[in-house]
This record gives sequence, structure tokens and C-alpha cells, in this order.
Amino acid sequence: MTTVTAPTLPDELAPRKKPPRFWLARKTIMTPILLSLLIVVIACLTVMTGSRPLNQAVIDVFVRVTLVVGLYIFIGNSGLLSFGHIGFTCLGAYAAAWLTISPMMKKSALPGLPAWLLDTKLPYWESAVFAALFAGLAALILGKVLMRLSGIAASIATFAVLAMINTVYSNWENVTGATSSVVGIPIVRAIWPYVIAAVVAIFIAWAHAISRAGLALRAARDEPTAAAASGVDIPRERLVAFTISGAVTGLGGAMMAHSIGVVTPDTFYLGLTFITLSMLVVGGMSSLSGAVIGVVLLSALIQALRWFEAGVPIGSITLALPKGLQEIALGVIMIVILAFRPAGLIGNREITFFNRNRHK
Amino acid sequence: MAYLRSFIASAFALVFAIGAHPATADDGEIVVGFATASSGFMEAYDKPAEDAAMIRIDEINAAGGLLGKKIKVVSADTKSDRAEGAKAGLSVIDQGAKLVVVSCDYDFGAPAALAAEDAGLVSFFLCAESVKAGIQGVGPHSFSASVLAAVQGATMAEWAFKDKKAKTFYRLLDTWTEYNKGICDGFDWMMPKLEAQGAKLVGQDTFKNDDASIAAQITRIKSLPQEPDAIMLCTMMPGAVSAIKQIRAAGINSMILNGSGVDGSYWLSAVPDLSNFYTPVQGSIYGDDPNPEVQKFNATYKKKTGTDPSSQYVYPGYSMIDVWAKAVERAKTTDADAVVSELEKMNAEPTLFGPRTFTKELHHQNQARYLIVETKNGKPSVVGNWTISEPVPMDALVKK
Repeated sequence: MTTVTAPTLPDELAPRKKPPRFWLARKTIMTPILLSLLIVVIACLTVMTGSRPLNQAVIDVFVRVTLVVGLYIFIGNSGLLSFGHIGFTCLGAYAAAWLTISPMMKKSALPGLPAWLLDTKLPYWESAVFAALFAGLAALILGKVLMRLSGIAASIATFAVLAMINTVYSNWENVTGATSSVVGIPIVRAIWPYVIAAVVAIFIAWAHAISRAGLALRAARDEPTAAAASGVDIPRERLVAFTISGAVTGLGGAMMAHSIGVVTPDTFYLGLTFITLSMLVVGGMSSLSGAVIGVVLLSALIQALRWFEAGVPIGSITLALPKGLQEIALGVIMIVILAFRPAGLIGNREITFFNRNRHK
Repeated sequence: MAYLRSFIASAFALVFAIGAHPATADDGEIVVGFATASSGFMEAYDKPAEDAAMIRIDEINAAGGLLGKKIKVVSADTKSDRAEGAKAGLSVIDQGAKLVVVSCDYDFGAPAALAAEDAGLVSFFLCAESVKAGIQGVGPHSFSASVLAAVQGATMAEWAFKDKKAKTFYRLLDTWTEYNKGICDGFDWMMPKLEAQGAKLVGQDTFKNDDASIAAQITRIKSLPQEPDAIMLCTMMPGAVSAIKQIRAAGINSMILNGSGVDGSYWLSAVPDLSNFYTPVQGSIYGDDPNPEVQKFNATYKKKTGTDPSSQYVYPGYSMIDVWAKAVERAKTTDADAVVSELEKMNAEPTLFGPRTFTKELHHQNQARYLIVETKNGKPSVVGNWTISEPVPMDALVKK
């Protein structure tokens, strides 16, 4: 396993000759394949252990992979930090709830929904697709305004979006149940739907990154002036990434709703925003591999710390860390990682098979 | 990329190590699983009730166990987090739990209870007081050990009218939580019945738990032609203290009626010499419970945990194990459906903390005996008890 600076064009191949079709796709396809394999291998190992709590923990990891890959599509490619994406997760989760709860329960709990929605009951995978589209649509509309901003103003504005969505969903009694839990969402305990969601997210992220829009956006991230001068419409490319990443985080929200079976607005607020962002930053903000590996590593770390908190039997004695140490240890470890690798564990590289390490 | 490889390798090693937890159910014992919070803010609610449940389990084990088997306790921490709650639930189920005990609050207990329901096991909320904690919000195998919030509001209204001859009522609702709204729902259901007998609701108002000042609300009470006899205050900690303080500081001396959420003496020093203040409780923590068995329980609790019970929310944990164990004895099995059907046969089943009834429609108490605690000059003590004349009906409990 080695790394290359993924989709940057090597000097000798510069515009002189048009590269063959799918040249970039062929060159970079190993990254999503390897990352998907990693996900599938983890899933297989989990199924082999047959432990239900582990199964649930790994489902959690895959949901986060979906969310963080969604974040990466926008943050990684545009270089803008977004605090608002968990808002789209919230939209996705509630959309999944609206579409899958049995009509009888909906009528009593969420009477404010339109009649056609009250009578709808879809299987979870259909609802997940609609939830993603709904979140993507919301991202498109909000992004149309937000993407004209840049730098810190854009980040703060995305944070305002998060706060706005949270406030609406915490108070719209008839439609979202306000702060009460929305229950009755069918729970999916099989691991494979989550594997599929994570793999789909990874391939969407990869396809976007090598697309014209993705390349233009990364050019704009690295050299905004030059990119604009070369004809890149920066707000437009950002909007494309924002919409796609909104849809993927919405998909993550729908999967999250099906993994726990309960949604409340406060699940989708600061806590989740910061844990997903830190997973992305620790893994490597501008790399798809970083996004996936960051989640897997930090989740493994959290699980391990939780395990130590619960107590590890060594002979006749049980060693246990004080309760609550998990959060502190996690923070310390993240600081250490970032101190030694400021660009994250993977930096801006991608994992591939072949040793074709090229320089910028 | 050696570091990367070793990272991934160690990640797998960890995942494996965690997966290798042994499942520990053997035939000689019955496992009770606690998927409750032992860290985070819910711990303050879960831990005391869990300790009380342990006391009942120890008693049962000392008396020879259940169906001739010892009860074994396994637990998993929800960390006061919903996603962790689902994992904690699955974890105790994997360890062979026949009864899954979940967090006090509906929102935080539901994920674990849903996991138990999924696995076809009986689940009990430690002290949730929302109607959702049971059939309505989880499924046919889920129960709550406490009493519905609505019963508290209804109890206080009827008791104040019948026993204290209060005629004019004022309703002040803190819209923060379902629990608060539940208390006032019960009050709203009871009020028309009392109005038919001569009581009168002279006004109502709302505030939010974290409002720094409720001066506007107080002004409206003060501008009534006459001070109301009783104020039904549907609120909970921490905002309750500030609201009570402000009402008294404004010179309003009406009776203040509350839900059980304000039970406990830990906050009374914040409102010195509080009087004319009433709270419904399932058992008294003040050493004056009319039932000597409750006092004995309080002593055992102190011996076991080193402190007196801090509020009445300790008690439901004990009743919970009590009714479940009785149902298991009667069903002669721990099989969920058989136990549920025995629980549903319970009609006014006596427990240390009042009779308990479960039906096919409601796995919660919609009528219960409450002790009334009066705080006089800053000293709380039991002044009576009250059971509402009829149970709170379903349509008053479930939102229309």
C-alpha cells in the first residue's frame, strides 16, 4: 500500500495532449475500492464475532463514515470549514422518520404533516434515498446563498444554518414533535445496509473529486485567483460540492435514524458536529482516505477506552479507568496526533496499490 | 506506509478484543440487565433507583432466589447518550438478560428499551413518567416503574380542593419538558370535574425553565382581584427553585402545588422558611413515612450507599424488581410473554410504595396512592395521602 498525490496532473502530461478517456478514473479508482474493502472486511469480521453490541458499535462507525465522507466532499475539496452539515443530517433523519413510521403512529405524534406524507410508509432503503434527496435539495437552496461567501464568513454562516435548522426542528411541534423523541422508526440491525451506504458515499465522493467540478473546486481551493482567472466559477463549483455533500450527510442521517430508532433534534447538534469534524481533521481534511481512516481509528480508540472504562479483567483483579476518562483521553490523543501531523494522519494523500509517488 | 499498516492492524486487534467478551448466562441463575447511565448527567437519576433495585434483588437472593435460581446482575453504561444506550441495551441482552432495566427518562431509555423489545424481552424504565414509556412509545413488553406525571397534577388538584378546601386555582406551566406538560395535563383533566363542584380556575400562564425572571407572570397573578388559593406549578429542577423564590418574594402566599420532581430537601436552603408548599411522593425520605417498612428500607439504603435517599425517585427501582419478580414467580418462567401476561393481571398489587396496576392498554400507573408532603417553615413532612377518585383516562394522556 502506498500513496500518491491523487488527482493532480503530473507536469509532463500538462495540457499539450488530451489524456485518454477515463484516464483519471483509472488512475485513482484503487482508492475507493481499497477503502470499501476496508469497510467490508470490518463488517465481515464483526459478523463473524456474532456479538450484538459490537455489531451495533460497527454500525455506528459506518454511519459516521457516511457522515464524515459527506463532510469531506465539501470541506476537503473547497477548503472551507462547514459547521452546518449536521443540520442536513437532521433533515435526512427526520425525513426518514416521516417516511417510515407507520401512518397510525404518525397521525397521533406528528399530526401537522401533509396528508400524503401521513399515509406514506416506505421501506427503509427507499426512504433513505428520498431523505438524501431532500437534504440535498435543502443544501442546494441554502448553498445558493451561502456559497457567495468565503473564508470565515462562510464557516460562520454554515454554523448559523445548523442553529437555524435545530431551532426549527426543536419547536415545530406538529411536524417534528419538537424536543420530544420521535419513535416508531423501524430499526435495522443488519450491518449490510450500513456497509452499502458507506460504500456508496465513498464512491460518490471519489466520483465528485475526479469530476470537472471537483477538480475545478480543488484548483480554487489552492489558488483562488488563478482558478477564477482560468474561468472557474467558484461559487458554482462550491454549490455543486455543497449540494452533494448535503445529500450524503442526509443519507447518513437517515441511516442513523434507522440504527437507533429514535430521533430528537439535540442528537444532531454541536456534539455530533464536533465529533465528525474532529474525525475528519484527525484523518486528514483534504483526503478521502483520511476521512474514512480517521473515523475508523478514532472510533476504535473510543471503543477501546470505553472498554477500559468498563474494566478489563486481568487475573482475579479488574482494572478500570475512572468513568468519563474516555472523553479526556480522546481529546489528549487528538491533540498529540495533530501536534505531530498537523495535516492529519493521512495528510492530503490517498491510499492506492501502486508505488507511483509523484511530487507536486 | 508502515505506520498506516500498524494503525490498521491495531484497530483490528482492538475491535477483535472487544468482540471477545464472553457471554455469561448459565442455567443456575436469572440475569437482570441494567442498561442505565453510570456516567453523564442521567447518572444522578439512574443511580439511586438502581441502588434501590439492588436492595430488592439482594433480598430476593437472600430468601432463596427466584424460581430457585439466584438473580445475577449485569450492567452496561449508556453514558447518558442515546446511541450508546442502544449499545448498552444490546450488550446486556447478549449477556443473557431476561429483564432489561433502562434509564429513568423516556428519551434516554428508549433506545435500550427498543433493543429489548426487538429481542422479545421485558424492559422496565426505572422512573420515567411519560405515557410513552411503555406500550405507546416502545412496545407490548415495555413497562415503567413510576407513576404518570398526569396523576401527580390530578392528585394535587383534587387533594387541595377536597382536603384543603382550596376554591380558586391558578395554573403556571413551565413548557420545558414533557414531564412538566404531563403534570399540567393531569391538572387540566381534573379541573373541570372540580369546577362542577365549585372550584374555579382563575388564570393560567406559562414560562420557560431557564427564564431568569418570571416577573411578568407574577404581575399577572398579583393583578387578580384576589390572590388564588392554590397555584399549580408544573415545573422541575433547576428552574423550579427560582420560580418558587420569585413567587414568594413577590408576597404571594397561595398554596403551591407541585409534581414529585421537586421532592428532596437539598434545595430548600435556597428559599428560606418556605411554607404552604405541597409535593406528592410515593414514599417519604424525611423519616416519617407512615409505613414502618419504608423506614426500614430507608435505613437499608443508607447502610448500603452511605447516604439517605435524596428524593422519592429512589423508590420506583425497588417496586420494579418487586412486581417483576412476583410476575416471574406466578408465570413460573422468565419467558417474556408469560411474564407480561402476569404483570397485566396485576390489579392494585400491593408494594411498599403503594398499589400497582398494569393492563393490556397501559403499562404505567394512571392512578396511584400518593403521600402529600407539606413544607412548613422550610421543614418537609408528610401530612396525608391521596388517591385520585378515578384513573386518568387514556385520551387525557395521549395527545389528540
